[in-house]
Amino acid sequence: MKKLMTNKNLTKAFSIFIIFYLIVIVFPFIWVLVTSFKPESEIWGKSALKLISENPTLDHYRALAQNNVLRGIKNSFIVASLTTIYVTVISIFAGYALARLQFRGKNFVLTLVLAVSMFPQMIVVGPIYNMFNELGWTNSYNIIFPYSMISLPVAIYILVTHFKKIPFTLEESAKIDGATPMQTLLKIVTPLALPGIFTSAIITFIGVWNEYVLSLTLNTDLSFHTAPVAISFLRGQFEIFWGQVTAAAVVVTIPTLIIVLLFQRQIISGLTSGALKE
Amino acid sequence: MKKIISVLMLAILVLGVVGCGAKKEEEIKEVPVTNDETTEITKTKITIGFQADPVGGIQKVIDAFETEYPQYEVEFANMTNDSAQMHDQLLNSLSSGSGEYDVIAMDVVWAGEFAAAGYLEPVDTLLMDQGWKTSDFNAGSMASGKYQGKNYALPFFPDLGFLYYRKDIVSPEDAAKLEAGTYTWEDLLAMSEKYVGQNETTYGFVYQSKQYEGLICNLNEFSKNWTDVKGGLETMNAFVNSNATPEDILVYTEGETHAAFTNKEAVFARNWPYMYGMAVADDSPIVIDEVGLAPLPNGGTVGGWLIGLNKNTDNLQGAKDFATFLAGDSGQRIYSSSNASLPGMNSLLTDAGIIEANTLLSNEGFKLALTNTIARPVVANYQEVSDQIQVAAHAYLSGSKTLEDAVTEIESALQ
Amino acid sequence: MKLNNKIGYLLILPAMIFVMIFSLWPVFQSATYSLFDYQLNDQTKSRLSISNQYNLELFQETNRYLNFYLDSEKETATLEQSKEKIDALLQKINAYETDILSNYGEEKVVKISEDEKNDLEAFAQTVIQSINEIYALNDEGFAIEEDVLAVTGGYDSSMIKPNFIGLNNYKQALKDTRVRTALLNTLVFTFFSISLELVFGILLALIMNKAMFGRGLIRSLSLIPWAIPTVVSALIWLYLYNGSSGVVAMIFSKIGLISKPTDLLLTSTAAMGAVILADVWKTTPYMALLLLAGLQTIPNTVYEASAVDGAHKLQQFFRITLPMLKPSILVALLFRTLDAFRVFDLIYVLTGGGPGGKTETISIYAYKAMFAQTKFGYGSALTIIIALCVAIICYFYIKVLNVDISSRE
Repeated sequence: MKKLMTNKNLTKAFSIFIIFYLIVIVFPFIWVLVTSFKPESEIWGKSALKLISENPTLDHYRALAQNNVLRGIKNSFIVASLTTIYVTVISIFAGYALARLQFRGKNFVLTLVLAVSMFPQMIVVGPIYNMFNELGWTNSYNIIFPYSMISLPVAIYILVTHFKKIPFTLEESAKIDGATPMQTLLKIVTPLALPGIFTSAIITFIGVWNEYVLSLTLNTDLSFHTAPVAISFLRGQFEIFWGQVTAAAVVVTIPTLIIVLLFQRQIISGLTSGALKE
Repeated sequence: MKKIISVLMLAILVLGVVGCGAKKEEEIKEVPVTNDETTEITKTKITIGFQADPVGGIQKVIDAFETEYPQYEVEFANMTNDSAQMHDQLLNSLSSGSGEYDVIAMDVVWAGEFAAAGYLEPVDTLLMDQGWKTSDFNAGSMASGKYQGKNYALPFFPDLGFLYYRKDIVSPEDAAKLEAGTYTWEDLLAMSEKYVGQNETTYGFVYQSKQYEGLICNLNEFSKNWTDVKGGLETMNAFVNSNATPEDILVYTEGETHAAFTNKEAVFARNWPYMYGMAVADDSPIVIDEVGLAPLPNGGTVGGWLIGLNKNTDNLQGAKDFATFLAGDSGQRIYSSSNASLPGMNSLLTDAGIIEANTLLSNEGFKLALTNTIARPVVANYQEVSDQIQVAAHAYLSGSKTLEDAVTEIESALQ
Repeated sequence: MKLNNKIGYLLILPAMIFVMIFSLWPVFQSATYSLFDYQLNDQTKSRLSISNQYNLELFQETNRYLNFYLDSEKETATLEQSKEKIDALLQKINAYETDILSNYGEEKVVKISEDEKNDLEAFAQTVIQSINEIYALNDEGFAIEEDVLAVTGGYDSSMIKPNFIGLNNYKQALKDTRVRTALLNTLVFTFFSISLELVFGILLALIMNKAMFGRGLIRSLSLIPWAIPTVVSALIWLYLYNGSSGVVAMIFSKIGLISKPTDLLLTSTAAMGAVILADVWKTTPYMALLLLAGLQTIPNTVYEASAVDGAHKLQQFFRITLPMLKPSILVALLFRTLDAFRVFDLIYVLTGGGPGGKTETISIYAYKAMFAQTKFGYGSALTIIIALCVAIICYFYIKVLNVDISSRE
């Protein structure tokens, strides 16, 4: 009898906890959404805590077209897409080699990749900054290259995991038919590993989309700011423009929301299979 | 064979990506060439790295400059409004030896650092060529731009801290004392406590003491230009503990200050000239007749912006021409009238046209404040010094550091 | 199994090239920087040099200014003697400059030998001495003594001495109280955010594992805080924490967590708590999803067996779930610890390290040292210290707690 009580209470506690949790997760977004429609005068002072605006306005959204946020989103898309393409291609090769082939130094390479994923990013910022200055690469889309540091190890790990899941038998038969390892990779393994490749691509994309320090440091020109940098620059000499910041936060969250809703399964599989950074 | 092909494909992909980056750059560097058959002038481009200017005075100056010097085309590289970010951005560009910006605008406290670093071209020859003397310009600004005996900057617009008070609240006797500048910080504290609450005010005195550069400006004023750090900190602390200042005075920046004063919530405020412009504006709750101005007890901190020439510019003559125009009579006239800022050229302070556009200049209390200004330290590692002072002072004011420790740290930072 | 050396190397080559250029090489560079007194905003220290160099451009500029200033002093001078002395000095300076420039070409900065260095220093000494002698005459016409003396500082600034300083940056860092505070802040942040995330993460994972209402919805919602840019979430929280209009600050002061809304970002404990809360909000769902994957590998049969034995849910949790989940927990903890230890974006945007440096982490201090103070040498030493800490953390997890990260699947 006592045992049953405990179980029932636990379930109840669980339900309360989950509802509380959902509120906590969603509340900041709701609040930001509400604020983004308030005129500047209602953001401060007495109406700051009202849920519904008395004079809702789209001014802050219109302002996004004039300030740098839309261009920031465009830049983020370009940078994140280019990085995703080249990192994914490179990781397919490396991931396959590390998952399937035996070669001397393989463990060393695996350890190296893992070690790189654990480096503090701050350690490369200074030298990369100097390198970009010397090459004249600051304020350009060349920033995608140092992004390999944050995304390549993760992508390789995800792909190694997925390649390992593919049954060996198919490759064996290909080998018997006289296919080279490269043919096996391109014709047999890659198509089978498509879900894994897709997962790695999404994780790479999100990682680059969210990156801040390198973008802030290397691309100082407004026209090359990525979305996170552009939003953090929405301030005047003496204040932060909360109306515009909240509107920008809403706009930047939308693509993320779409990606998450569409590819929830792939993202979770990526999260749980790779050595992943935030 | 297949191996080679795939390696080739990879190489193409990588190169393609590089190509994209490079191509983008070219596009941006491309200057539109107008193929007008009658005028065969190739315009020289001058890029200026200035802070964003919502009022638009700088654009008016550029237009006038381009009319007067048709050989130039000025590109306004709109930088951020956040001065700490702009500093780092400029530093990044300049330290790489880039000639990206030909002319730059600098906060007064950056000039020493940039000059010491060798980023700036001295302006002494420019002054000589124009027949200008340093005494023709705002003294505080010129002092901020002087390093190792050389002048590195011209005034863009000077700024200084002074006291705003409510004429409708403060008694005429007290007002006279304030405007004459014959009062102390202790007197101001006593007055704040005396008047707070009158005419629906909530605060006696508002000023800036968040942990940022503004705290340095205020402490400079409280500590008599760093000659009495201990006394200055104690006075500031007395203000923090007083009921006449907001509970969250330790997060106050200029923004909170002008919000409180222009919404008629505060009796006294310490701020820069821009707040006068806000008070004059039609939609402001406060009307200008209710606003009185006075110097601060130990003088007001010099702030404002300077114009400097990038040493690595490819177009020194163009840079000089633009800087001359902007700092000179015509540029200052346009900018000062448009943005209601102080002109950097002394002769314009008494110019009837400017005074008409900028009523601040005819205010007696303000005029007195202008004669008593104090500068922040001009040192090569200013950012570091400023940072150390900010941390120590804020830690003391917020109660996590003793007065003695804070004083020792600040004084050693000033060494 | 057969070795596929050639093809294996070929396939990993592109990845290795990127790792070499954009990860390993910068790390070695940072280690090198950290051994130099390397400061971008100081002309004499703005490059790594192990030999003496001389800035000829500045040297010429200094001479030009001396000519200019001393000429103007000569014009106003009243004593014949001072005019003669000025002429003599200027002649000497100009002759010396011609001599020096004939030795070197057009270059702005040149390498010089020890002898040349001594020679240049001796020259600067004699110039300063002559200037002092001139001003000792107390000529009434002199007006700009201060400027003339200040300009001679240019000789000193032209001399670029070797700035290799061995381990001095590290020694300085060990003595720097700001480093100590930053490390302590980093540890406090890491410990509390990880602990909270672990507790909430396990709870959440358990709940998600039970087939209850809206499971897909919960999962999707959980992913959003993780997936939005950290900077955006930091700004959202900054708004919610705002002392005068932030709703969270208001709620916290209503329920008595803080005495007034503005205290939240203004007092040291509350600000650290606020930062931790924002991090917990952002990463608990991520932690939960990692643990959920571990939970799903525990076969149901184990629970059924224990239910037969009469164990209730709580006992089941401590006797079965927790031990079987341990490998997943440790791996999740390792990665979260590393992330938390390197935290930058969140705090940089949320508090900037304030109030009074009370939330400044070691990454933020390193970034400020490099990019606001441009002390690249010192900042690099700090980043190396971060890397060492990270290595120690990894060692602790892998050797002491036996985390197996290589075979995770």
